[in-house]
Amino acid sequence: MIQILIQGLLLSGLYALIAVGFTLIFSVGRVLNLAYASYLMVGGYIYFYVVQTQGMPKIVGMVVAVLMGCLMGMLMYRAMVKPLKGDHVAVEISTLILAVVIQAGIVLLFNDSAKILHPILPGVWHVGGATVTLNILTATVVSWLILGGLYWFVRKTHTGRAMQAVSMDAKGATVCGVDADRINLITWGISGGLGALAGVFFASYTQLSPNMWVTPLIIAVAVVIVGGIGSIVGTLIVAHIIGFMEIISTTLIAAELRGVFTMLLIIGVLIISPKGLFGREELG
Amino acid sequence: MTGISWRHVALWAVFIIFMLLLPEMVSKGTLRTVIFANFLAIFAISWDVISGRTGYISFGHPFLIGIGAYTTAILSYRFGMPVGLSIPLAVCVTMVAGTLFFLPALRVKGSYFALVTLAFMELMYQLVQVIRPDLTGGTRGMSGVTTLARGAVNNYYLSFGLMIVIAVSMWVLMKTRFGTALSAIGMNEESVRGSGLSTTRLKLFAFMVSAMVAGLGGAFYVHYLGSIAPRALFDINFVFTIIVAVLIGGASTIVGPMLGAFFLTFLLEYLRPYLPGAERYFIYGSIALVIYMYQPKGLYEIVMQQWRKYRVVKAGET
Amino acid sequence: MAEVSRRKSRRDLNVSHHLEVNNLVKMFGGLIATNEMSFQVDEGESLGLIGPNGAGKTTIFSLIMGELRQTSGSITCFDSEISHLQTHERIQRGISRTYQVPRPFADMNVLENIRVGLMPDNIWQMIMRRPDPEREIELAQSVGFAENDFLRHPSELSIGDLRKLELARTLATDPSLMLLDEVFAGLTVAEIAQMAELINQKREAGMTMIIVSHDLKSLEPLIDRAIAMNYGAIVAEGSFADVMADEQVRATYLGDE
Repeated sequence: MIQILIQGLLLSGLYALIAVGFTLIFSVGRVLNLAYASYLMVGGYIYFYVVQTQGMPKIVGMVVAVLMGCLMGMLMYRAMVKPLKGDHVAVEISTLILAVVIQAGIVLLFNDSAKILHPILPGVWHVGGATVTLNILTATVVSWLILGGLYWFVRKTHTGRAMQAVSMDAKGATVCGVDADRINLITWGISGGLGALAGVFFASYTQLSPNMWVTPLIIAVAVVIVGGIGSIVGTLIVAHIIGFMEIISTTLIAAELRGVFTMLLIIGVLIISPKGLFGREELG
Repeated sequence: MTGISWRHVALWAVFIIFMLLLPEMVSKGTLRTVIFANFLAIFAISWDVISGRTGYISFGHPFLIGIGAYTTAILSYRFGMPVGLSIPLAVCVTMVAGTLFFLPALRVKGSYFALVTLAFMELMYQLVQVIRPDLTGGTRGMSGVTTLARGAVNNYYLSFGLMIVIAVSMWVLMKTRFGTALSAIGMNEESVRGSGLSTTRLKLFAFMVSAMVAGLGGAFYVHYLGSIAPRALFDINFVFTIIVAVLIGGASTIVGPMLGAFFLTFLLEYLRPYLPGAERYFIYGSIALVIYMYQPKGLYEIVMQQWRKYRVVKAGET
Repeated sequence: MAEVSRRKSRRDLNVSHHLEVNNLVKMFGGLIATNEMSFQVDEGESLGLIGPNGAGKTTIFSLIMGELRQTSGSITCFDSEISHLQTHERIQRGISRTYQVPRPFADMNVLENIRVGLMPDNIWQMIMRRPDPEREIELAQSVGFAENDFLRHPSELSIGDLRKLELARTLATDPSLMLLDEVFAGLTVAEIAQMAELINQKREAGMTMIIVSHDLKSLEPLIDRAIAMNYGAIVAEGSFADVMADEQVRATYLGDE
């Protein structure tokens, strides 16, 4: 029981970290970035290259990964999303294609065999009969810190409030003197950085492989669908629903079914309430 | 869009005659490549009927193809049903499953539709491995499924025959006002409703047509390959190949997806000596992205533009 | 035959309203868009709906068309309730509307746009029967398109032409009641005259209409009766002159006229 509780909490923390960057773009730019999970993969591989191939310190690997993710996000916004002028269908299609291109690029550079990352913090921790790797504990703690930081950033800073304004009404925000283009660029940058960092933790939790992006993409999608148009708190709640569902189904039912409930949740919520559990009827 | 002219018929006839003579002209190896191109063209046409026309992007098309393929494979391999019965049954099952799959999707719009279809495909992938592995063959799938024809030439004629029947009938169907209405949904769904048409019924019908084509393609495909495995089928790379074929060729047309499918398959064949593995997706994707950003309507539109320019120049000369 | 008996009973009871709206309420969250609106339009009558921006005029249209669902209240067409019907079913009952911002099919030419309006809501017939180009041309000409406009695409048309195109597509659904939303907005003087002429023709042909416009001068000759609204409720009702003489209406309108 305690095992389930602790593992559920830890996994949910990781999932929240995975989903938050995706939610951020969806709520500010109203587009689905299907290449989002590529940031995770790129982040993981860069970390692998810097730390395990070049032998540099882990923190350097993380910083480089985050910076590259950031850059990638901003580049994508400038080169793809902006020229498509917010055409949702076009953005979805082209980001999906890009995701596969990036996957193929990874295969070209690193070949397609799976790679194991050394744990970021080695060792285990025994608590109340349950065993927890320090690795995922770190991931969860970092995730909580980042979500807290992001919450503060969006609520309290000037840029963060501008992001909120753009997410509510991009045209209105522009009229009020907010540079929506700049805000979008920043959001894509932050999302890229968060994705890359999540990727490092996700890869150390599972493994590095060129098709590791599909699972986190589905998780992120589930969080956005179930949470409605994303708030950070909503992301956190839904990440916990999914995380616990997965742990419970793995321990109590069958390990093979771990992803099934996430899909059923997505489909079920869309049937019952197409705008998500926390969505609202829009005006007009 | 105003009907079918003699020139259209002549062009189709030239194409069909050329394709029928193809086995005389090329090697068996190339022929096997063209077989794949034919199947990809069928899947691409199926995708285009729903997504290219109405703008509702399906990321889960392998779900439909897979139902067709698995149904006929299980019926013929596990229960010894003759293929002549199992394939039509598989198509019916695909249409029913496609409709069930579409019902929740009816309630959602735009981006969400794409996501539900993606979720359906992943769900199918996981369920196939867990539920009744004695029937589906679980993770390893099935091999030794009855094949319909022997040898490259016969298989080529079979796949081409299927493809051309589907392509021509879809082409005729899309020439009617039904095709116009579907394209209209892609441009402005509210205005279609505002013209007194039930868009729900139109989309549902389009979906059933798409599912029928996908089911047919999937069923014949599994009887060509003789084997089936979940990972190869319910794979995002497979979705990607279908979508890229349509986009490179030209969405919202019939010739476009065919053009794209042939282009992609031959590109693959040509690249094989240099890029043996999954790297080819890198080239595919990059080409598709460039074409898509430059001309979202694909090669078909690029060719048509050149043709129109040429005609204007020609008209100027005389 | 149901039609005949209903018409008869209406004459007997002397309540021949083409459209009747009763206590219509629409709330967006906590915001009241229309508040207990009630009015009627008789067959062949032309009603003007005026009021400042945000008064709820377009919301009324959306409610009548079923694009929005009312929070409470009823909408009846010839005494039969239509609230439960979907938009396309209401159009099949002969109710049709235009939009403030025209919404054409971007990749189709003028005739193809009209073709969509002419389609029957029956997939079998859509497939089996050919389009009717003569009827398309007739409709295009009836709203004033010249022959060389027929193959133009919406991106090549002026806002006036787009309004005409939308009117043609709306007329193609063969309505008996038309809701016209800001038909004069963005038009040149010549186009306004042309549009007014068109509307007058339809009126003379017996079409029932509800017209929303800010252009009161152009609106006045086109309507039999006016309703002024503000904050989702009716402020004044009667002949155009009566409504314009109303204290409250003057207070709202003299500010910005």
